[in-house]
Amino acid sequence: MFKSEEMEINLGPQHPSTHGVLRVKLRLDGETVVKCTPVIGYLHRGLEKICENKTYFQGQVWTDRMDYVAAISNNLGWVEGVEKLFGIETPRRARYIRTMLTEMNRIASHLLWLATHALDIGAMTVFLYAFRERELLLDLFEAFCGARLTTTAFRIGGLREDLPPGFVKQARAFQAIFPERLEEYETLLSENRIWKKRTVGVARINAEDCIALGVTGPVLRAAGVPYDIRKAFPSAAYAEMDFEIPTRPEADTYARYLVRLAEMRQSHRIIQQCLDGLPEGPVMAKIPKILKSEVNEVYHAIEAPKGELGYYFVGEKGGVNPYRMHVRAPSFVNLQALPKMIEGRLLADVIAAIGTLDVVLGEIDR
Amino acid sequence: MPPPMNLLQTIVMGLIQIVAVLIVVFIMVPLLTFAERKVIGYAQVRLGATRTASGTRGFTASLNRGMWAMGKVPVLSFFRGLPVFVADAVKLITKEDIIPAKADRAVFTLAPILSVVAAFGVFSAIAYYPGVMFYMPKSWPLIGGLPFNGAIADVNVGLLFILGLASVGVYGIVLGAWASNSKYPLLGGLRSAAQIVSYEVPLTLSLLPAVILAGTLNFKDMSVILSTGQGMSPLAVIPLFIGFFIYLTCGFAETNRVPFDLPEAETELVAGFHTEYSGMKFGFFYLAEYANMIVVSCLATAFFFGGYYLLPFGLQRIIPASVPFLGHPSFLFFMAKVSLLLFVFIWVRATLPRYRYDQLMDVGWKYLIPLSLVNLFIAAVIRYAF
Repeated sequence: MFKSEEMEINLGPQHPSTHGVLRVKLRLDGETVVKCTPVIGYLHRGLEKICENKTYFQGQVWTDRMDYVAAISNNLGWVEGVEKLFGIETPRRARYIRTMLTEMNRIASHLLWLATHALDIGAMTVFLYAFRERELLLDLFEAFCGARLTTTAFRIGGLREDLPPGFVKQARAFQAIFPERLEEYETLLSENRIWKKRTVGVARINAEDCIALGVTGPVLRAAGVPYDIRKAFPSAAYAEMDFEIPTRPEADTYARYLVRLAEMRQSHRIIQQCLDGLPEGPVMAKIPKILKSEVNEVYHAIEAPKGELGYYFVGEKGGVNPYRMHVRAPSFVNLQALPKMIEGRLLADVIAAIGTLDVVLGEIDR
Repeated sequence: MPPPMNLLQTIVMGLIQIVAVLIVVFIMVPLLTFAERKVIGYAQVRLGATRTASGTRGFTASLNRGMWAMGKVPVLSFFRGLPVFVADAVKLITKEDIIPAKADRAVFTLAPILSVVAAFGVFSAIAYYPGVMFYMPKSWPLIGGLPFNGAIADVNVGLLFILGLASVGVYGIVLGAWASNSKYPLLGGLRSAAQIVSYEVPLTLSLLPAVILAGTLNFKDMSVILSTGQGMSPLAVIPLFIGFFIYLTCGFAETNRVPFDLPEAETELVAGFHTEYSGMKFGFFYLAEYANMIVVSCLATAFFFGGYYLLPFGLQRIIPASVPFLGHPSFLFFMAKVSLLLFVFIWVRATLPRYRYDQLMDVGWKYLIPLSLVNLFIAAVIRYAF
């Protein structure tokens, strides 16, 4: 008479809270998750293969489409990887501008994360507040390169153009209002009892598991490991910047929330330093019209908003395109932590966990 | 005293009153959705809802331009966008009504009807005004000179009737979820059954202090006694005050509103129990939810806010009945208080995240029920000791 059955349910790929086309197969016992299997590949475009058939200059355009909320970070990884492969030195001013834009992009990406994460948990208002500030950043990107999302902001060897007139003023205006806006989000969430109930102790993953799974970025830092590529292997102008790596020991959703908020503050600091110390000079190095590689291979990683974004290039002799290009996408690696985080927990926690991992499907499927 | 009515007159007067109340409710529900858009729009700095402003010409337009110039969002734009609710209604009525192939057709159709009937039926016992509101004009045939009462039915166990009928509404949700024969609605329906059944207990318990203190279950008399404080100790404020907060919390849960909107948690269960519903069947659930919000606000007004008197908690005796308008009960006071509570509903939606299922149960069983029992005890002590 009292027969209990496990129910299999599909979360996605067209589910409102899977942030794209992620499909998660869940086996439920009542509302408890017994087993969770992420299914990916709905957005696969064969990006790595495409890049092997494009020149080093053309390939960069495709990186915009990976993590489409942090296109500038993707661009940075690509151009610096190629520069490393060919031994190109970029001018100091270009490196400063790259750093600044990348940090702005980090804030934009974290704002989008905050917006959707809060919306998933039911706090609708934060969503629109965060988008309001993200809009200001997208306006800055638009002023710089004409595009808001798919920026293709940098060029191999530097920048195509210097900052447009008025950009610094616009950026300073953003810098002036952003800290108080951050406090506004915090008043809505940080001490909100329901928010804390939904996030404290939820989707916990400890440092050992993070390292074993290769999880990087804010998820790893919220588990207490101060690993940040901007400090560990500084590129662009990060070596000249003064900033801290925020960490938390709790390793839960709330800790990740705090870490990302603190990261936005640090990014704000870096942007301020870039604006204040912006050196004069050219923004483009002298590079040949056609880049022909030797037999060579290079791995270059940068700290993207989601974690370690690595580009692996193999050049062949005389080739104008990479022989092999591979992307170590942070969202792809971080998603592996999902089953570990939520098995044995409730259905509502799955939503919180997907939100807190901050995955972008364009990057997972490539 | 009006002359006693014959059967035909009774029926006709009853129908007139029912239609009048239904019209008011049917206007209030779309207005409420409109208000929700506007209030949430302002709370969340939504550009659309706050700025679908006035036209470019005319008096209001020039005023609005002035406000923009001062750096303020024009208040006059507040009323623009009203046609949206007409469009809403037209859309819901004309949309294709899809019944999934595997659904149980009869139950699937019955469920929204059950929900909406339960929600609207409750209005029959709510008193908006003590006694007679006005008399029909003498010149009218058949019903000339007959009284138009402040309540459709003056039931002597009004509260029981209301609570009983309101709890039928949950069957609409559960049956609808079950009949959809789909997984997300099923989860939503189960959540909702558990939630509404467990919050019904503290909800009822939180209303009981008012019953004990007033000594009646009649809706009309209760409002009068609770606001004028006839024969009530001044200490009665304490249990009523606590009861109000318990009631309001449970009211949010009963109407499936944020932070207790688990049955339709759109980021978890797509749309919860009404995932498979479309067209006017969905419209019925929608109507029922908003009608329930109005019911909850009406009850809170009558029990804790002094109903159709100006002041609650027996404070009305400060104002003697000789004072014009303020000293007398008025339909306007009632509506104003209901609107205030409805605003609170919307305000909370813009502010709070959603509880998780198990946490919701914790709040209900571990905190609200013990608290309301203690409150009931306090009320009983005050009633008999003071």
